[in-house]
Amino acid sequence: MIEHGPLLEALLAGASICQVTDEEAFRRLQDEVVREELNHFLRPLNRRLAQSQDGSVFFLAYQELNSTAREHLGKEFKQTVQSLLPLLEWMQLVQEALGRDGSLTAGDTIKFQEFALRTEDNQSLRQRFNQLAADRFFKSNSEQLDQQLKQVFKRLKETGYLQQPHKDRQYYIVTGKIEQLIELVRFIKDEESLPLDDMPQQESMF
Amino acid sequence: MVSLVPKKVTGSNQSPQSRLHALGVERLGLIGKHSEQLMRAYLRGHFDEVSVNENVLDKLVKARILHRPDEQQPLALRPDVSRLIASLTEDERKRQVNADVAGQIEQIRTQVKHFSDAQYRGDYVASEHHFQLLSERVHDMTGQFSDAIDSLWNRLNSDFGFVSNLADKIRENELAQKQLRRLLDGFELIDFNELIELAQNSGPLRKLLVSQLQVTISDHSSSLLEVQKRLVELMARFRQQQERAQLITNMVAFLKQHPNFIVGDYTNRTQVPELVNQAAPIIASASIALDKVGEQQALGDMVRTLAISTNDYSEPLAAGTEFELEQELVVEARHQQLKEDVENYFIAVFDVTEPLSALQHLAQQALEWDAEMWLFQVIAEFEGLNASVRQRFTLQKLLKTVDMFNQVEVIEDVVLQVNLPQLVGEP
Repeated sequence: MIEHGPLLEALLAGASICQVTDEEAFRRLQDEVVREELNHFLRPLNRRLAQSQDGSVFFLAYQELNSTAREHLGKEFKQTVQSLLPLLEWMQLVQEALGRDGSLTAGDTIKFQEFALRTEDNQSLRQRFNQLAADRFFKSNSEQLDQQLKQVFKRLKETGYLQQPHKDRQYYIVTGKIEQLIELVRFIKDEESLPLDDMPQQESMF
Repeated sequence: MVSLVPKKVTGSNQSPQSRLHALGVERLGLIGKHSEQLMRAYLRGHFDEVSVNENVLDKLVKARILHRPDEQQPLALRPDVSRLIASLTEDERKRQVNADVAGQIEQIRTQVKHFSDAQYRGDYVASEHHFQLLSERVHDMTGQFSDAIDSLWNRLNSDFGFVSNLADKIRENELAQKQLRRLLDGFELIDFNELIELAQNSGPLRKLLVSQLQVTISDHSSSLLEVQKRLVELMARFRQQQERAQLITNMVAFLKQHPNFIVGDYTNRTQVPELVNQAAPIIASASIALDKVGEQQALGDMVRTLAISTNDYSEPLAAGTEFELEQELVVEARHQQLKEDVENYFIAVFDVTEPLSALQHLAQQALEWDAEMWLFQVIAEFEGLNASVRQRFTLQKLLKTVDMFNQVEVIEDVVLQVNLPQLVGEP
């Protein structure tokens, strides 16, 4: 059990473990025995190990949903829902700016400079990014594109959607949290029976 | 209309073979000579008729390199030439997969008959010639298959990178799958029983039509099945990407259209959905504890290492600070030490009559400070002195110009001197 100490501590501190954030820990968590051991330890703390639907992310969930737990979940969930639109818009922007086939997926690399240049060069992207940065999720109050970019990436790193492997190198890797976000979108769509599939099909602009 | 009659080449006493040879060389030469313009035509879709003179244009048309698809259209490359370039350059946009197996088989059949007839007649020259043609046919067919397979692999490996967006890629993938199916269907048409019969007991024919072909076709089949598998996988990925991008686009549009949209209160349901159940963080913190006898030794050692780094500094700890602040204390202590050393330097100035160089003092006293830091502190100390006290000293900076082109000067040293007259004048 002692060898799982750091992993346990990270999980307790609220980390989501995926292939990008901690490959070694992620690999260890594939083992059923390890998961049982951890769960055994977590039980008195009213925690248990949980996994995203596609199995790409591990995190801690409440074992029993008492009122404190529910209160916390309610607060968190509200925040996540509020961050939905800005995050999805950001994903669209990156996809467009970098001319990618698909939307961002865990493991994708974003080069800050490349994204910055493309955004700077394209008036429409720039304008959309400008609006996005001012959203209360990203909270940038600068007018400068450079500052806005820094703030947006900083927030994404803070919230765990991006990982920066080297502190002094400006490239980022998308973490499994983005998959959780998409799962949530899909879930909300189904749960609220949103008529998303019947929406006027906007042919993609890229 | 373009004349299809080959141009007459030199003397008429040549054999058909050598005439063909000369004609081929000449026409291939034409392609080489005008490769610039032809390649431009390949890319643009039509030939720039003013780029060459009338004469050349005429030659290119006669050589069956260019044609005019209809009266209104500009001159363009003939499809065969276009295909040749596509194949040479592995240009997947224009490369075609030739899946017409039935036609090929038909030709092979005919050729076999020519060959058998010639053999039956005992015309060895003719039979040899027919056999050569037959081998070419067979090799052409298998060559086309491997070209087609090569092209399919190429498209796969480049993730259909020759078209720019996902919808196009999906269409290209669909097309490739269709071509592949036609190829596989074509393989079905190759009936080896029939070929065995055709070959009868001619050794070379059996080898060509049966054993060699069988190996090639089975190689190609397995290769194609692999391509098919990969195409289907890639298609699934494309579709997934498309679905995902669509989901995001639609959700964004929906949220923008319904700014007051409220999501259900999932967290207060009896069954809370798994994906919203994310527990609050717990920070596992720990403090120093002295209740274990066994650890006291280790903790004692730790305390001693702390003491070493701070023992130069004897000022009592400021109220309220605790020893976790050791780092700051070390820095603070060193700064205090520097200040003290600088003060000693100011005092030392009183002991000499000459101006005293700061760096000299630093060296004499064997102080460990970095020269730059030392000078900086000396100047800071001087500037920080009370105005009346400062008057008692004269600080002179020894400057050095770094570069003749700009005004930057570096302080190399400072000398400090006590102003004696004023000292005398003071009580």
